[in-house]
Amino acid sequence: MMTGLPLLTILVFLPLLGCLLILPVWKRPGAARLLVLGLMGGELALALWLYASWQGLAALKPAAPGYLLLEDVPWIPAFGIRYTLGLDGISLLMVVLTAFSFCVALVVSWRAIGEKVSLFLALLLAMEAGIMGVFLALDLALFYLFWEVMLIPMFFLIGIWGHGRRIYSTVKFFLFTMFGSLLMLLAIIALHLLHARQSGVATFGLFELIRTPLPAGTQLWLFAAFFLAFAIKFPLFPLHTWLPDAHTDAPTAGSVILAGLLLKTGSYGLIRFGYPLFPQAAQAMTPLIYTLAIVGIIYASLVAFAQEDMKRLIAYSSIGHMGYVAIGIAAWEPVALSGSIIQMANHGVTTGALFAMVGMLDERAHTREIGAFGGLWGKIPLWSFFFLIFSMASVGLPGLNNFVGEFLVLAGAFAKAPLAAGSSFIGIVLTLVYMVRLVQEVVFQVERRPLPLADLNRRELSVLAVLALLTVWMGMHPAPLLALIHGPVQLLTGGAP
Amino acid sequence: MNAADTYALAPLIILAGGSVLILLAGAVRPGGYLYGLAGALIAASLLGSLCIPAGAVMPGLAVTPFARFFAVFLDSAGLVALLLASGYNKRRGIVGEEYPATLLFALVGMGTACAAGNLLMLFLGLEAFTFAFYLLVAIERDSVRGGEAGLKYLLNGTLSAAVLAMGIALVYCSRGTLGLSELARQPAPFEPLFLAGICLILLGLAFKLSLVPAHLWTPDVYQGAPAPVTALLSTASKGASAAAVLLILPLMAGWRGSHDIFWCLALATMVCGNLAALAQTGIKRLLAWSSVAQMGYVALAFTALPAGGGVAALFYAVAYGAAGLASFGAVTVLSDGTDRDAIDQYRGLGYRNPLAGAVLAIALFSLAGIPPTAGFMAKFAVFSAALRAGETALAVTGAFTALAAVFFYLRVVVALYMKPIDGTEAEARWLTCSEAMALAIPAAAMVVMGVYPSPLLDLLARILR
Repeated sequence: MMTGLPLLTILVFLPLLGCLLILPVWKRPGAARLLVLGLMGGELALALWLYASWQGLAALKPAAPGYLLLEDVPWIPAFGIRYTLGLDGISLLMVVLTAFSFCVALVVSWRAIGEKVSLFLALLLAMEAGIMGVFLALDLALFYLFWEVMLIPMFFLIGIWGHGRRIYSTVKFFLFTMFGSLLMLLAIIALHLLHARQSGVATFGLFELIRTPLPAGTQLWLFAAFFLAFAIKFPLFPLHTWLPDAHTDAPTAGSVILAGLLLKTGSYGLIRFGYPLFPQAAQAMTPLIYTLAIVGIIYASLVAFAQEDMKRLIAYSSIGHMGYVAIGIAAWEPVALSGSIIQMANHGVTTGALFAMVGMLDERAHTREIGAFGGLWGKIPLWSFFFLIFSMASVGLPGLNNFVGEFLVLAGAFAKAPLAAGSSFIGIVLTLVYMVRLVQEVVFQVERRPLPLADLNRRELSVLAVLALLTVWMGMHPAPLLALIHGPVQLLTGGAP
Repeated sequence: MNAADTYALAPLIILAGGSVLILLAGAVRPGGYLYGLAGALIAASLLGSLCIPAGAVMPGLAVTPFARFFAVFLDSAGLVALLLASGYNKRRGIVGEEYPATLLFALVGMGTACAAGNLLMLFLGLEAFTFAFYLLVAIERDSVRGGEAGLKYLLNGTLSAAVLAMGIALVYCSRGTLGLSELARQPAPFEPLFLAGICLILLGLAFKLSLVPAHLWTPDVYQGAPAPVTALLSTASKGASAAAVLLILPLMAGWRGSHDIFWCLALATMVCGNLAALAQTGIKRLLAWSSVAQMGYVALAFTALPAGGGVAALFYAVAYGAAGLASFGAVTVLSDGTDRDAIDQYRGLGYRNPLAGAVLAIALFSLAGIPPTAGFMAKFAVFSAALRAGETALAVTGAFTALAAVFFYLRVVVALYMKPIDGTEAEARWLTCSEAMALAIPAAAMVVMGVYPSPLLDLLARILR
C-alpha cells in the first residue's frame, strides 16, 4: 500500500506542509515546537521505514538499475525540465541522516532559541525540504533549484539567531556558495544544449545526459564548473574560508545542520553528478583533488590546533574530515568510495553531536573559550563522558564510527594512489593532536574559572545517548550500511553489481 | 473601420474615454471615489482584453495576440499601481482628478504602442505614455525632488522623442512607407539611409529602456517621483518599450548590426548597472540602478532572438514587472509623510510590518535570481537562450554581475530582518485592504511563476509565433 504513494515527494514536501501548519500556532512557541517535533518525527519514521524495507524495494522491478524508487513527471516542457526524484542506497543513507539530523537540531535548540521561535521553526522546516530535494533530485535543473533553495533558510538562520559577526558570516556564506552555483548553472545549461544538439532531445535528466559524448576540452570546462560549486561546499582548500565563520557564528541548530548536512551535499553532488557525467575529466583532475584534499587536511588540522574557540576548532576539524571524503571519492574505486559515503554519514553524526555539546556548554557558561574551562570531568561528568566519546570518534578510534570510514577510504585509496593515501596518514596523527589537546584542556586538568555549570538534563541526555549509541553501532556493525550502498557504488565505479 | 474593429478596440476606447470622463467628473464633483472609478475602468478594459478575440486589423493598429497579452499585463500593472497610489496620495496630499486620469492616459499610450501597426502609431503610443509620465513624476507639487525629477525626465525624454522621430523620418524617407509589415518584407542588405534611421530608432528606445549609456535619467527620476509612480514607470513603461523593440526588430532581420548593438548595450548595462547599485545607500536609488541592470538581461535576451530570446525577454519583463511592483510597492507602503529612503531606516521592518517586509524580501530575491521565484526562472530562460545562441562571454558576464547584484540585494534583506532596532526608525502601521492586495498580487505572481512557469512560457511562445 505504501509504495503506491509518492513517497519521495512526501519526503520533500512534508516539511513545507509543516510551514503552513505552524501558521495557526505562530504566537504560541510551545505548541509550535511540539507540532514541528511531531512532524520531523514523522519524517524520520518515513525515512527509517524506507531504510528498513530497502531490500524489499530493491526486489521489486526498479525503474532504473540500482534505484529503489523513482518519481518522474513533466514539469516545464518549454525548458525540457522534468520533476524527477530518485532514491538509491546512497540517497537513502543521506535521507535518513537528514531526517535524523533535523530532529537532533530541533531538540538541541529547544530552550536555546527564545525569540521568534515560530520563524526559526519554519526556516528549519524549509531547509529540511530543500536538503531532502538536493539528495533526491535526478533532474539537473531541479537539483540546481533545490541546491539554491537550501541556502535561503540557512542565510536567515545564521543572520538572525547567530552571534559574533553573524551578518558578515552569513553574507560571506551566501555569496561564496552562489559564486560556485552560478557557474554550475551555466555548465548545466551548456550540457543540456550540447546533448540537445547531438541527440535532438532537450532534457535535463541525469540518465539521458550521462550518455552524452563530449569533446575532452569542453568536458574539462564543464566538470571544472561543477567541481567548483561542490568544492566550495565540501569545502576543499582554498575555498574553505567561509566555513569557520559560518559554523562559529551560527546558532547550535545551524551548526549541526551546516556540518552534518550541508557539507555532505557537496560530496553527494560530486558522486551523483560530477563523476558520472564527466568521467574522463574527473580522472584527469584526480591529482588536483588529492592535492587539495591533503593540503586541506594538514592545514586545517594545524589551524585547529591553534584555536581558542571550541566551535571554531570543531569547524576546522570538519574541513579535515571532509578532506578524507574527498580522497575516497577521488580514488573512485568501490572500497574507497564506500568509505567516503559511510564517512559522510559518520561525520554527520559525530560532528553534529560535537556541535550540540559545545552548544550545551555555551548555554550554561556563555563562553566557548577553551581557556575558560578545565576539570569538567569532576564538575559535569555526564557531559564530559559524552564529549569524550564523540571526540574519540572524531579522532578515528577503532570501534567508533569514524574509524570505519577512514579505514575504508585509506585502504581503497592506497591501492590506487599510494602516495596520496600515505600522505593523508599524517592527517590522522594531527587530528589526534588537536583533539587530545581539546579534550585535555576542557575535560581534564584543573578548573580555571569558577563557572556554575549544571549537568545534562533529560532532554539533552536522551539526544546524546541516541547519538552515542549510533556512533558505537555504526563503528561496531557497519555491515548493514555497507550493504545498503554496495549496489549503487558498484554501478557508479563500473564494477559488477 | 467597421463595428467589429471598434469592438476589438474597446479596451483602449474604455481607457481613453474613461480618462476624459474622470477629468470631467473631477471638475464637477471632486473626491476619492475617482480612484475607485479609475480602478473599475481599468478592470473593465482588462476584462475586455481577455475576452474580446484578437485578430482585427485596421489602419495603424494591429490587435494581435501580442497586443492583447501586453494589454493584460500592462493594465494589471496599472491596477496594482492605482491601488498603491490611492492610500499614498491621500497621505501625501496629492489631491484631484489629475492623477487617475493621467494614469489611465498612460495605459492608453502603452496599449497603443503595443498594438501599433505602423511606425507613426508606435511613436504616438510611446510618446503618449511618456508624456503622461512627465506629469505623474512631477505631480507632487510641494516636492522639490519631484519637480527636479520631472524636469530631468522631460528634457531626456524630449531628446529621445526627437531622436525617435528623426529615425522614423529617415526610415520613411528611404522606403516610402511606415507600415511595420511592409517594412519587414524587404530583406537585407539594407541601404545606409534605412540603417541610419533604424539605429536612431534603437537609440530612442534605448532611452526608454534605460540601457547604458542612455540611462542617466533613471536614478534621479525614480528617486524623485512618488513611489507608486516609480512602481508603474519602472515596470509597465519598460514592458511597453520592450514590446516596441520586439515590434521593430523584424525590420532588421538579417542585419548583423542589430545583434552587435544589443551585445554592446547588454554588456555595458549589466556591468555598469550592477556596479553602480553596489554603492547606493538609498533604497529608491538602489532599486533604480538595479532596474537599469535588469534591463541589461533583457538586452542579453535580445541578442539571442533566433534561439528563443524573444520568449526569454518577455518572460523576464513580466517577472521583473512583478518584482518591481512589489519592491516599489513595499517602499510606498512603508513611507508616510516623507519617503523612507535610507536603507538604515528599514531596520527591523520585517517584523513590525510583516507583509510589506516579506513582499520586499521576495521581490529582492526575485531580482537577484534566487529560486523559487520568478526571477530565477527568468534568468534561467535568458541564460539558456544566450548559451543556445553561442553568447558564452555575455552569459558568463551575466552570471558574475548577477553574483555582484546579490550583494546589494542582500544588504536590504539584512536590514529588514537581521539588524538590531535602536529607536531611530519610524513606526509601522496597519495596511489598508487595497495596499495589502497591491502587495499580495505581485508577490503571489512571483512565487507562482517561479514554481510553475509553463503556462506563461507556452503563452509567450504562441504569441511570438
